[in-house]
Parts: sequence; structure tokens; C-alpha cells
Amino acid sequence: MFKLNLKIALRNLWRNRGITTINVGGLAIALAAFILVVMYFSYETGFDKNNPNYDNIYVVGRTEPDFTTNYTSPPLAKAIKNSFPEVELAGITKKGFYELALKNGNNALFAKNFMQSDYSAAKILNLKPTGGLEKPNGEIERLSYLSNENMKTLFPDKKDNSPEMVAVGSSNSGIKSKINGSILNDLHSNITFDGISIANELGQGENYGYNNYTTYIQVKPGTDVANLEQKITNLYRSELLKGETDKKTIEEIKSVSTFLDPLANQHLKPKAGSDAPYKILLALSVLGILILVIACINFTNLSIAQATKRAKEVGVKKVMGAYRLQLTTQFLVEIFMQCFAATILGLIVAELVLPAFNNLFQIKLSIWHIDNHLFWQLPLILCMITLIAGIYPAMVLSGFKPALVLKGNFSTSKQSYWLRNGLLVFQFSIAVVFIIGLFIINSQLKYMRSEDLGFSANQVVFIRNIAYFNNPAKFEPLREKILKIPGIKSATVATDVPDGAENGSNGYTVNAVNASIDFVDVDFDYFETLSIKLKEGRFFSSAFKTDTANSAVINESAVAKYGIKNPIGQTIRGCNTDYRIVGVAKDFKAQGFESAVQPTIYAIKNSCGNAKLQIMLKIEENKMADALAALKSQWPEINKLDGEDFRYEFLDELYGKLFKKQEQLQSVFFAAATLTIFIAVLGLFAFAKYITNGRIKEIAVRKILGASDIQIFRLINSSFFLMVLVANVISWPIAYILTKKWLETFAYRIDLPILPFISSALITILLTIITVSIQANKAVKANPVDALKYE
Amino acid sequence: MHLNMNKGRKVKGFKVEGLRVRNLLALNPPAINLTNMIELKNIEKYYASKGNKSYVLRNVSATISQGEFVSIMGPSGAGKSTLLNILGMLEDPTYGTYEFSGENVNSLSERKRIELYRNHIGFVFQAYHLIDEMTVYENIEAPLLYKKVPGSERASRIADLLDRFNIVAKKDLFPNQLSGGQQQLVGIARALAAQPTVILADEPTGNLQSVQAEEIMTLFKKLNQEDGITIIQVTHSEKNATYGNRILHIADGVIKEDVAVHH
Repeated sequence: MFKLNLKIALRNLWRNRGITTINVGGLAIALAAFILVVMYFSYETGFDKNNPNYDNIYVVGRTEPDFTTNYTSPPLAKAIKNSFPEVELAGITKKGFYELALKNGNNALFAKNFMQSDYSAAKILNLKPTGGLEKPNGEIERLSYLSNENMKTLFPDKKDNSPEMVAVGSSNSGIKSKINGSILNDLHSNITFDGISIANELGQGENYGYNNYTTYIQVKPGTDVANLEQKITNLYRSELLKGETDKKTIEEIKSVSTFLDPLANQHLKPKAGSDAPYKILLALSVLGILILVIACINFTNLSIAQATKRAKEVGVKKVMGAYRLQLTTQFLVEIFMQCFAATILGLIVAELVLPAFNNLFQIKLSIWHIDNHLFWQLPLILCMITLIAGIYPAMVLSGFKPALVLKGNFSTSKQSYWLRNGLLVFQFSIAVVFIIGLFIINSQLKYMRSEDLGFSANQVVFIRNIAYFNNPAKFEPLREKILKIPGIKSATVATDVPDGAENGSNGYTVNAVNASIDFVDVDFDYFETLSIKLKEGRFFSSAFKTDTANSAVINESAVAKYGIKNPIGQTIRGCNTDYRIVGVAKDFKAQGFESAVQPTIYAIKNSCGNAKLQIMLKIEENKMADALAALKSQWPEINKLDGEDFRYEFLDELYGKLFKKQEQLQSVFFAAATLTIFIAVLGLFAFAKYITNGRIKEIAVRKILGASDIQIFRLINSSFFLMVLVANVISWPIAYILTKKWLETFAYRIDLPILPFISSALITILLTIITVSIQANKAVKANPVDALKYE
Repeated sequence: MHLNMNKGRKVKGFKVEGLRVRNLLALNPPAINLTNMIELKNIEKYYASKGNKSYVLRNVSATISQGEFVSIMGPSGAGKSTLLNILGMLEDPTYGTYEFSGENVNSLSERKRIELYRNHIGFVFQAYHLIDEMTVYENIEAPLLYKKVPGSERASRIADLLDRFNIVAKKDLFPNQLSGGQQQLVGIARALAAQPTVILADEPTGNLQSVQAEEIMTLFKKLNQEDGITIIQVTHSEKNATYGNRILHIADGVIKEDVAVHH
């Protein structure tokens, strides 16, 4: 019986191979998309899951009145460990601050993040040097490890795990350091590094002000975390209050609290950070499911459309004594076979698309590895889609009444008319939402690329550097040497470059108004190098002696924040210094388009500031290549500490990375829109074919009655036209709400345009008319006699 | 390959050879009340639309015994097919009782009805209704599969039928490669495969030329006389009706005449 049914199924599929191809192909493509999404989902939610204590590890963060952060100070971890028995381990880590050049002979690498960790944190985070985690001796010893890849770069021929000496910095620095071995840098973890140095204790002697560390705790299973969180907040406050007498400070401390953020949340939705990755992941998952659902709907739709062809079979089998369940099973098996073929095809497509996908999301996913969850997920997905796509057609087909279907002039089109139209409308609604979304993302990106940023990143070269230039006098000789190179127009150094990164912030007071604003410590020619426009007053100039002492430039947003009437000459106080405002700069979008321009103060001298490391040069475009070559050759002389390690980046490329996320979204939407349209059109194509076939007699009669070809085209198209119109009307408000929400994530954005809504309607209507007309053409061109003679 | 070679080649005319159905029936005798096989009492069938009842059948009562060959005749729209559908349990009467070998069909469970299809009732259709995706052999085999007849017996029964109907050479062809008469022959072979006690035939020769029609009717007569299979057919043709031994004349849903045919 099974064998016979299998044969019938195969013969049937072969006879309708056109529709079978559409069915299986559409499903396969959708499945490929879904497979990628499922893999991406497991990857993104699987960070650090290898850690045996995954569920019991928390990051201790701080909530200040103005912000939340994961940066904490060294004494906190110790205090927590000593006070609460439910905390098994508490440790801290510290990121590397600047790029470290490491060398072994001619092999060199630049370690962007040479991390520091105490022994407890290394244990909590399951850091595994080759040969196991060792405890450093005493207070001073540090055990340094390079990631396996980096070790390979420096010592390509190394076979054992013995310690090595490496040179640090430029070759004339003469600094050597010991590397104890190599360590696995798990990219599927929140803690990644180029190298790591492990000490028994970090930050000895640093007090609660040194918030440069990340604190990790591992609690005992079953700990009441909410309670612990409260206890740690109380502990933190009481520690800060020790010896504090100033009333105002005491008040401030009372508004500070701590939080415990599970390790599981760090990658996608850290409390001290953005949950955008989480939202994007959710959106992507919904998208993957939607595409699959659409494909399944297609499948259902086509299977029901095919039903008349099978009706006779059902009727005959029933009078031969087949149970309904037997028939249902038969059809389900048939659909299962198609779904199975689609799954195999989908896997192949996914494998082909994977490189592009990996490139887009900057990850390294692969299908063929043993512990891929896909191997148990896929059979589940297969069964699921078989049920979704198959249960309805199987029920409809097996439910045919023999007395009706065996009379001969049986037609199903009436019965499931509403359902099938509804499904088609649903498909097109989703396609329309994606088209509109794509158009609006495109417009916003175009706006971001063309909009005046308020500064110019073009022809600005950013040089990586490890020497501190907080004192302008120290940078002056460098500037002189650099400017001697032809083509270099200006040179400056600052704490931050406008690449979207957050600046430091601090409290400043103007006219007794106190506010926390951003600060950027700069050098002369900062504004000129970045072509920032002046609103009033002046920028820094070496002609004014006071500029290196207490002059400040603030931006328009800062003026607005403090509500200053005539800013020039007024005093702004911060970090125990009275700054005199000498100029107001026009706002410029250093942080990109998502956040509004922050009120910012620019000063040359700032004793509370950060290290001025970021060298920026403005270079004439046509002399760029020569200037860079000259810089490279002269760098050992210009900047001894970096020596031959001259590394640069173009600021516009760096700033362009800010658009990366939106460009990803654009690509995803492009793929989704194309896919949904493709699948919907496939469905429409087959559906139109079916409908037209069903109306061949009607068309023939109409032709005999004198209808013109155009009239018949219009007749066949009209119902589809209406459906697409309905789909558009349904999806407009949905698309409106979604895109509006998305645009609201930008501080600088376009007004919601109307054109995408109209375009999407035009596109879908045009596609529908073309698709349907191709099918209708056959019926129209056919000789009416052929259609009528069978009666 | 040979499918393609035979494609489009329609063989006209056929011959029915020695019937051996009796032997087959002897293997599996039907355990059934043979005298009053079918009993219809006051069968009514109407469709209600907009408050009006439009009657298809009215007050139909009849008894058909084992071994009869009954023809149902009447003009178009008289209710012949509906009556046959009711007899075949494809439609339910609105009112009245139908007993099949002493059992009330109206109250029969779905499962019991299917058992009746499997063991007692064979259908022959005007449009043959062979399954297009199955070969001749597979079409005949299908009811045996549902009846769960073991493989060896299945093979011998089918071989027997193919042989009897002289269609052995056609066994691997698909229905669209056969002439109408041949298709109907396969249709009858399929109906016989399950060794039914009754064959219900709805205009079995309606789509056939007169020579082929005659041969089908001769076959029916033989099946009835030599194998004792009860046959109930709907027909338009007076001539076809004379092959049987009883005629029910229906007009406007009412049995007008119930006459025996004398040979």
C-alpha cells in the first residue's frame, strides 16, 4: 500500500512538475533563509554558554543618576567577596587601553586588547591557557598569555608551550616582556582579547574612584539575586560614605546604586548598554518565521488549487473502502516528501549563501560541525512545516464526498475561495511591508550619507599612537616635523576622534547651573583639522598664552543646555578649574545620527581628562599617497615610541562604520523583500494558472459572445488586482507604525515619506498584472472550440 | 519505455473468455442474508432551498434479492442516480430506512460502512473513474490493498482477472493509453477484484460505442447468471435493460413501474 501510494505521489509530482518545482523551490529558498536565521539565533544567544557556571555569573555594574555603566573599581569586588558568603568568587578585569606592538624578530602584531584579569576573574570566566590555568606567585608575578592565533603569528614554528620573550613597542624601545604561553580566545564569548595577563590581584592601592575595571561574581546556585543586588548596593554606599562629611556628597552617594547583570545578558542586552542587538535578533527571527510561514501558505494554497485533480482519486478510493485517515496520511506523506526535498535543497542553498551571510554579520557560522543544533532542529522544522503546509490540504482532500466528486463536474474553487484569497492577501501584505521598509531604510541611509555632519572626515588621517600628548608643548615638536611634509595641512591630537565613540563626561557649572556634559581634550588646530564651523568667538590659537591654561570652546548644545545668553567671556567651572569660554562651535555629529549632539566642552588643558592619544592630520587629497609614504618613513624619527609601527586609518572610513548596523539592516530587508515578493509571485503565478485553467470554458464562451482580448485580460486581472490593493491597504498602517518606530531611534532622521507607500503599491500591482497576464495570455490565445468540445 | 511505445495506440474490441469468478467466490463465501439483500422503505430525498422542498425521491420502497439483475430507468432528472447513490451509501436519504442484508444502513458507523464497501459493494461508473496515476494492474490491485488481501493471493486474483478480461498485455499501461471500452473493462475488473456481492453501475455504457456497450452488458449478464452477483444498474437504454431480469421505472422521484423482464 505504502509503495503504491509512493508511486502515485511521484507520478503526480512528475506530471505537475511545473507546480511541484515552484512549490518545492519556494519552500527551499524560504527554508534556507530560516535555517540561516535559526543558526544565527543559536549563535547570538549562545555566547559564553560553554562556561560551566553560565547561570551563576553576574557582572556588577553601577547606576549613577545620569548613566549606567559596567565600569567599577577594584575594592568593590574584594568587599563583596568578604561580605557575602553566597558569592563564591569575585574578580575583576581591565581592558587594554591602547594598541601594543609585540615583536619577535620580523614577526610583529598589534595587540589592540591586551587584557588584565585577576586570578578569580580568570576562574569565573573559564579562561583556559594551554596547559591549564595557573595561580601566579605572590603579589607581583603576572602570567601573560597570547591568544593561540597571535602566538602563531609571532612564533610560527613553535611546537611546545614553553615561555617566550617578546619585544614590546618599537624596536628601539628596548622593552622585553615574558609571554608564559598561549590561551584560547573564544570568539563566541563576551570576553575576547589578543592577549591576557593574569595577576593574583589587580589595582592594589586603587580606591573607589578608579572605575576602570569590570567586576564579575559567581554566586552559589539558588542564590536570591534580587536580595544580593540590594545588599551589594547597601555595601557599596556604605563603603563610599566612609569618612565622607560633605553633606552634598553624602546626598549624591545615596542616589548611587549597583546592579547585577547576568552573564547571559551581556552580549545582547546588557543593562549598561544598548539592547539594539537583541531587538535586531528578535526582528530577524520574526522575519525568518514569516518567510517560512509565507512559503508554507504558498504550499497550502497550491495544494488546494491542485485538489480538483485529486478529487476523483479520493472518491474512488473511498468507495473501494479506504478510511479517511488512510487518505489523510497518504496526502501528508506526499507533502512530507516535498518538504523533505525542500529541506535538502534549502540546506544546499543555505550553504551557498552562508559566506555572504557571514560577511554581512561578521561572524563565522558553518553548517557542518558535530555540535550544530541544526541537526536536531531540522527534523523538527521539517515535521512542523509538513504539518503547517500539509494538514489543511490533507484534510480538505481526504474530506471530499464521493457522491459529489464522482459526478464529474466537480470544482473546488468555490469552497476554499475566501481562504485562498485570504492567504494571498496575507502574503502580499507582508511583501508590501518589507518593500516599504526597504525604501524607508534606503532614504534614511541616503540622508545619513549626504547630510552635513557639521565636520568633515574627508582627507583626515587618524594615526594610532601610544605616546601621551596631554601637554601641548610635548606635541609641538611633532607637529612641526609633520607639517614639514608636503601636503599635510594641519595636525592635532585629542582624547577622542569623531568616530561615534562616546566621550568622557564630567560635571561643569555655568552661572550656578550644574550639569554633566561631555568633554574632549584637544590641541591646537583640532577644529581646523576637522573643518568644524565656528559660531561665535574664536577657536584655540597659540597666539593666546591662556589657551593652554584655561580657555574653553563649547558647542551650541552646551550653550543651550546652560541657557547662556552671551557665552563669550563667561566662565565655566569644572575639575576645580575656571575656564573662560572663548568660542562657540557649531554642533557636529561626532556620535552619528542615532543620538543627539551632546553638550560638549573642548579644552586644551584638563587635569581630570583622559590621555590624549589620537593624532589626526588633514592632508591634501592629491598629495595623500606621498604624504603617507613620507610619514611612514619618518615616523621613527617623529614619534620614537611607535617607531616603525606607523598605523593609520582614514577618518571617513572609521565614521562610515557607524552606518554598518543600518547597512546590515538594509541588506536584511533587501533580502527579505526580494524573498517575500519572489515567493508571493511564485504563489500568484501558480494560483493564476489554476484559476485561468478553471475558467477556460468561461473565457471561450465569452470570446464566442464577442469579448475582446483586452476585456478578457481585464476580467481575469480584476480579482487579483483587488486582492493586491487590499493587501496594500492592510499593510500601509503596519508599515507606517513600524518604520516610524524605527526612524524614532534616530536623533537625526528624515520625515516619513509618502512615496514608498505609493511605490510599493505600484510595484506589487505591476508584478501582479504581469504574472497574471502571462497566465491569462494562454487562455486568451486558445481557440474557443478546443475549450468547448470536451463537453 | 514500453509505455511510450504503446501510447496513443488504442485497441478496439475485446473478448471475454471463460469466467472463473465462481471459484474465487467459493474461497470466501459472503456471510450474508441472501434472500432480501436490499430493502428500501419509504425513502424520501429532498433539498430545502428558501423554504421550498424540492423532491428528488418520494416514497420509494423496494426489495432486491440476492442474484437479481435490476435496471433502473427513467428520464433525465427522475432521481435514478440519487437512488443508486443511496443504495451505494454515498448519499443519505432525508427520510425512510434502508436495510442492507438485514442491517439498518442509516445507523451504521462510518467504519461499518467502509467494511461494506470493502467486502460487499463494487462500483462501476459511467466515466470509468480509473485513477490516472495508476497502471491497469495497480488500479485493479487498489481495492485489494484496502481489504488487506495478502500479496500472493492478490497477485493470483489480479492475474486471473487480467486473464479473463484478456487485458494481460495492457497491465502496465495507464488509463489514458486505453480506449473507453478497455477502461470500462478495467473498471469492472477493479469492481470484481474485491469479490463483492453487489455491483452498482451508473450508466456503465453511457460513454461507449454500441458494440463495446453490448459486450459490457453481456459480461454483466454472465457475471449475474454464472457467478450469482447481484447487479443494479442505472441506464437510459431499453436495450441494456433487457439484459437484466427486472426493471424499475422512475419518474419525478417516484417508482412508477416495477416489471420483470422475460427472456
